[in-house]
Amino acid sequence: MRRFFLRRVFLSLITLWLLATIVFVIANVLPSDVGRTILGPFAPQESVDALNEQLGTNDPILEQYVRAMTNLVTLNFGNSFQSGQPVGPLLLAAIGRSAQLAALALILTIPIAIAAGLFAARRRDKRSDRAIVLLGVTLSSIPEFVVATFLVVVVGVQLGWLPVLATPPPGAGTITTLRFLLMPALAMAVVYFGYIARMTRAGAIEALESDFVRTATMKGLKTGQVMRHHVLRNALIPTVAVIGVQIGYLFGGIIGVEKIFNYNGMGQLMLFAAQRKDIPVLQAGAVIIGIVYMIATLVADLIIAWMNPRIRSEMGD
Amino acid sequence: MDYSRLDPIRRRASAQELDLVESFAQGRISRRSFMKRATIIGLSLPTITAIVAACSDAPSSPAASGPAVTTAPGASATPAAAGGTIRVATQRPAASLDPVAMQDLGAYGMIAQSFEFLAALDQATGDIGPGLAVSWTPNDDNTVWTFKLRPGVTWQDGSPFTGEDVVESMKRLVVAGNAGLKGVIDEASGKVVDAETVEFTLVSANGNFPYLVSVFNAQSVITPASYATGTTLDAMPNGTGAWKLESYDNASGARFVRNDAWWGGPTPLDAVEYTFFAETGPMVTAYQGGQIDAIVQFDVFSGTALFNDANFTVNEAATTNHRQIWMRVDTGQFVDKRVRQALALSLDREAMVQQLFKGKGQVANDHVIFSLFPYFDEGTPQRTRNVEEAKALLEAAGATGLEAVLHVAELQEIPDLAVLIQSQAAEAGITLTPAVESLDTFYGAQWCPGEPADPPCSGAAELGIVDYGHRSTPDVFLNSALKTNGVWNSSQYGSTDFDAAFAEFQAAVGVEAQTAACAKIQANLNDEVPIAIPYTYSFLSGNAKTFTGVYSSALGQMFVSSASKVG
Repeated sequence: MRRFFLRRVFLSLITLWLLATIVFVIANVLPSDVGRTILGPFAPQESVDALNEQLGTNDPILEQYVRAMTNLVTLNFGNSFQSGQPVGPLLLAAIGRSAQLAALALILTIPIAIAAGLFAARRRDKRSDRAIVLLGVTLSSIPEFVVATFLVVVVGVQLGWLPVLATPPPGAGTITTLRFLLMPALAMAVVYFGYIARMTRAGAIEALESDFVRTATMKGLKTGQVMRHHVLRNALIPTVAVIGVQIGYLFGGIIGVEKIFNYNGMGQLMLFAAQRKDIPVLQAGAVIIGIVYMIATLVADLIIAWMNPRIRSEMGD
Repeated sequence: MDYSRLDPIRRRASAQELDLVESFAQGRISRRSFMKRATIIGLSLPTITAIVAACSDAPSSPAASGPAVTTAPGASATPAAAGGTIRVATQRPAASLDPVAMQDLGAYGMIAQSFEFLAALDQATGDIGPGLAVSWTPNDDNTVWTFKLRPGVTWQDGSPFTGEDVVESMKRLVVAGNAGLKGVIDEASGKVVDAETVEFTLVSANGNFPYLVSVFNAQSVITPASYATGTTLDAMPNGTGAWKLESYDNASGARFVRNDAWWGGPTPLDAVEYTFFAETGPMVTAYQGGQIDAIVQFDVFSGTALFNDANFTVNEAATTNHRQIWMRVDTGQFVDKRVRQALALSLDREAMVQQLFKGKGQVANDHVIFSLFPYFDEGTPQRTRNVEEAKALLEAAGATGLEAVLHVAELQEIPDLAVLIQSQAAEAGITLTPAVESLDTFYGAQWCPGEPADPPCSGAAELGIVDYGHRSTPDVFLNSALKTNGVWNSSQYGSTDFDAAFAEFQAAVGVEAQTAACAKIQANLNDEVPIAIPYTYSFLSGNAKTFTGVYSSALGQMFVSSASKVG
């Protein structure tokens, strides 16, 4: 297990280095003038040149690359080209907001989706199963921004039940924060419900058809016991893997949802940085999202290993 | 005409003031133009009022609308209540709140809450009015301008506001290459005459100087003398204005609270809360959802719902925001002016204003002396669509079957404008292919490439559309885009007649002389067509009718110092 863990950490570091390099290359290979982008098309050329000099974007590309990598390793992300503010706190604030939203979306989605998937599996090919599958497919096929727009117009504007902006006021308590985050979280949850429910259903059906479940049933165990002790653990393995990946995705920010609810998470931050060639923010942001991905998938793997002794023993090799 | 009231004013007037009073009294300029010009040269409000009253039977010409300002009358019948907070939606500042270096409307709006200008935006007239300067006067040839400073003003940290602050603020702008002041003043121009007087000796005569140190040159806010270049409002929140910055987050918004020591007295409202947005759509839904009270700027399409909302006051202000369709006059297919005229004649300007702005714009006439300027000359006939004439001109120029690429940036309505031009020009036999490019590519490779650097923009494409924002005077348009070797002269226009007319305009003393120079500029540009300008478009802002006293400039500065909540 320890060996598995260390190997995954090592691979994660390699992946992060590759990710940072790719972002650096993309940001620097595309034709652009950072100073011009920041100061605008009508700024005097001498001001643009001075700004480029100050930002170091005129330095040789290798020098810029080494500086960027050194900064990442030492967690010194520098200052934003655009706002001049330190990148670290900017990212921390944005990732914190994204984490809040993603957490609420997952809390809303996971229990209901898993319950629906198990319920459907138990009633395979019956009307309730087909209804859940149909609902899942339908919801998964609706883009988040469509659900978000619908919620804003109906729940926010017409009914006035929930705020249409997701950012709670400064110093807001937990209840107020939840009120503000509920609609965007719902928009994300609706879409992921179908995905997770269908994965759970498929895993549960496979488990229900397995020999060990048949044996447990024939031993005389009650249905609830069979579901809890034999089906659930095995049925959830693919679901956990999917959730692990989705966590990284959600933390990266669902830009459509963030824009509609004017929520300043990682998605908006990264988009703003990309539009304005704010390379320090872009690069550090990509690495931070990468780290979240790595951690989420690693934790998912560890949970899967804990759930499945066979996998755990393979990891121990 | 009431000569008994007018004559005393005439007797004590300077040469410039007399010229203006006579122009108005004889009906050569409209009342609006008179008031605008009188404001520029520093006539006091009582004097202006007295002149207008004395000349009350003076004919007024159909005039130009005033400069960009939008006011929100609100539900004035309902009594206003003291206290409260107004929640304003605005675009997110693109960069830091550095008053000298800021370049976008989001930052302009933040800065203008805490800092003030020598000449402020007058809510009543929509023109410049007393700000940190209570009055200003030029010498007889517009080369020296003297500003009387408002007494008793203090910075928010309690220290007194002085002439030194004004001189140092302007010096910083000159060093930074401020576009409005470049070539107008230099580092040595400002001088403190006494505790309440500052004098500027200009590099060359300029009759519009007060505009360049007013709200219409957003960077020209007065900051403390100790405010080093690069200092930001959030790092050093110390202005003279009505509002004091309490908190600022570049990603989400800002909060300003009342400055109890403001020279204008306590504001009715307690605070102003700004929320930053990336797009207009969420601003509109935020208003509809009751989370926003005012919107600094929105476009006609995403703001459609606001036009139909009985509880929302939409304010439309004419501006000089426009698009220039440049045509290279030195090389390529547009060298012959008949070809350029043909393209201009193919444009259906009314249709463009309707389709692109739902009518919230004004037709333009291929020159930059727009009708809201007081020196606009009405003698230049409006160019209207004439496809047959366009075809005839093309044939005469031997350019039948003209094909060209129209370079445009992926910006606002411009790609749609390109498509409209394409279809309209096609009817005249001109085949245009729009090439929509990223902002970087467009500005860097098509509009004004850095190389070759001499003359500027000589690497520009032969045809394209570039955007120009609002300016309160045409100097920048004339100097940079059209003057020989101008820094943004992508058409490579070089006309001795134009240059002479522009020089005459800059040196002109009095509105009549300025109008005479503008008549030459208008005629020259309209005939030569180095740039075609189909329209200017309006600045749209608004607020819920639960607030009164809100007004805005076309530069994203929403003023709420006299605003109050109704009921």
